[in-house]
Amino acid sequence: MAVQDVKIVLTDVQAARKNWSLTAQGTLYEGTHLISGAVGSGKSTLALMLAGLFPPVSGQIKREDVSTLMVSFQYPEYHITGTTLEEECSSWGLDPFSVLTAANLTGKKTENPIKLSRGELKMLLLACVLAGNYDLLILDEPFSSLDCYGKERICKRLSERSRGITVIFTHEQTIFPRIDRIWEIRNGELCDRGGLPEALRHWYYAPKVIKNLISAGKIPKNITPGDLLEAACRT
Amino acid sequence: MQDVRIRIGIAAILSGAAFFTIEGALAAFIWWLIFSHPLKVLKKIRVVFPIIIMIVFFSIIMEITGGGGLAYSIRMIIILLIGMWLYCEHQTGEFLHLGTWLFGDRAGFELGMLAEMAMQSLDILSSDFLQIRQAQELKGVRWGVRSLIPTGIILVHGTLRRADDAAELMAVRGYTRGGTFCPEFTTTMRDILGGLFALCMVIISFVPASEFFILYR
Repeated sequence: MAVQDVKIVLTDVQAARKNWSLTAQGTLYEGTHLISGAVGSGKSTLALMLAGLFPPVSGQIKREDVSTLMVSFQYPEYHITGTTLEEECSSWGLDPFSVLTAANLTGKKTENPIKLSRGELKMLLLACVLAGNYDLLILDEPFSSLDCYGKERICKRLSERSRGITVIFTHEQTIFPRIDRIWEIRNGELCDRGGLPEALRHWYYAPKVIKNLISAGKIPKNITPGDLLEAACRT
Repeated sequence: MQDVRIRIGIAAILSGAAFFTIEGALAAFIWWLIFSHPLKVLKKIRVVFPIIIMIVFFSIIMEITGGGGLAYSIRMIIILLIGMWLYCEHQTGEFLHLGTWLFGDRAGFELGMLAEMAMQSLDILSSDFLQIRQAQELKGVRWGVRSLIPTGIILVHGTLRRADDAAELMAVRGYTRGGTFCPEFTTTMRDILGGLFALCMVIISFVPASEFFILYR
C-alpha cells in the first residue's frame, strides 16, 4: 500500500471582500495546525478557501492526496439534516449511541436537534465530525459556545486523531489540543510561526498565560493544559 | 438610482402594469433592460434562476390544465425581475428615511425600521442558505426536495430566534415606539429619467395601440 503524502499547498493566494483582503502562502503537512487571528481577520474565509468552498481572487490552493474532507462550520445548525438526534447521527453514517455518548447527550435521542442549546448542538456536531476519518478536517471556531468541560473533551478527541491534516481556526485563549504547527493572520497576511515549541516565541496572538511563561523563561513543550501546567510548575 | 422614493414608485407602477396586462409586462421588461443593469442584477442574485424555473413549472401545469400559463409566467418573471432590481439597489437605512418621510416619526419610523430589519434578515438568510448548502454537500446530501425541508426549518428557526433576540434587546435598551429622524434623499438625473420613462411605459401599455397609430376606421 502506498504511503500518502497529504498536504495543502498555498501559492500566492489572495482573497478579498469589501474593505478586507488576505494573502496566504505556505504548505500545511499532515498534523494539527492552529490558525489564530483577531476577530474579522479572515479566519472563516480562509477555512472556506482551504476546503475549496470559496474561490481565491488569485493564486492557487492545491490539496494533494486529499480524498475526504470535512468542515465544521462555526454555526452548528448549518449541518442539521435530521429531525431527531438519532436521525441526525445516522445522517452522518454513524452509530447514534456512541456519538450521543461522546457528546454527553445520551437520553436525548428523540429530541429535535434545533431545540438543543448552541453548546449542546456544537458538541453533537463535533462528535459527529470527529468520529469520521477524514484526510482533511477543518474546524472553524470549534470551541465557541462550549464550556471548559466540553472543550477538554473535544481537545482529547482531537489529540487522538492519528492521521490526516487537522486545521483549527480559533481565537480560543485557554484550552487547546496538542498542536504541531502554529499560523496566524496578521495585517492581512497568513504567517507561519513554525513548529512547537519554537513557534511560541513568535506567536503574536498567544494567550497571556503562554506569554507570561515565555517571559519567565519557561517554554512549554506544547500548549495542552497539561503542558502549560508542567511549564508553570517547572523550577 | 439613488432616490428610494422614485425607486419604490417605479417598482410599484411597473409591477402593477406587469400584473394586469401582458403589454404592461413587456413595457416593464423594456424598462428593466434599459435602467436596471440587468447583468449585474442577475449575477448578484443567482437565487432568481431556481425561482424562475419554479414559476415556469407551475405555468406549464396551468397551461395544460386550463390555459393562460404562458402569460402568467411572463408576468410573474417580470415582476420578479423588478423585485430583484429593487433589492439590488437597496442602500442600508434608506427605508427608515422613506418611512419617516411618508408617515412621520411614529408609524413611519416604525414601518421604516421594520422594513430595514426585514432587508437585513434577507441578507443574513442568503448567506445562511449558502452555508447550509455547503454543509449539506460536505455531508453528501444531494440538493432536492428532501434537503429543502431541513434547510427551510433552519432558516425559519434562525430568523425567528434573531427577531426574538432583537426585540428583547430593543426592549432592554428602552425602545417603546416611534423615534425622531430627519429623512434625506439624493435625486439624480438618472432617477428622474428612469421615473419618467417608467411612467411613459405604463401609460403606453394601458392605452390601446389604435389611439397612437391612426390607421383607418
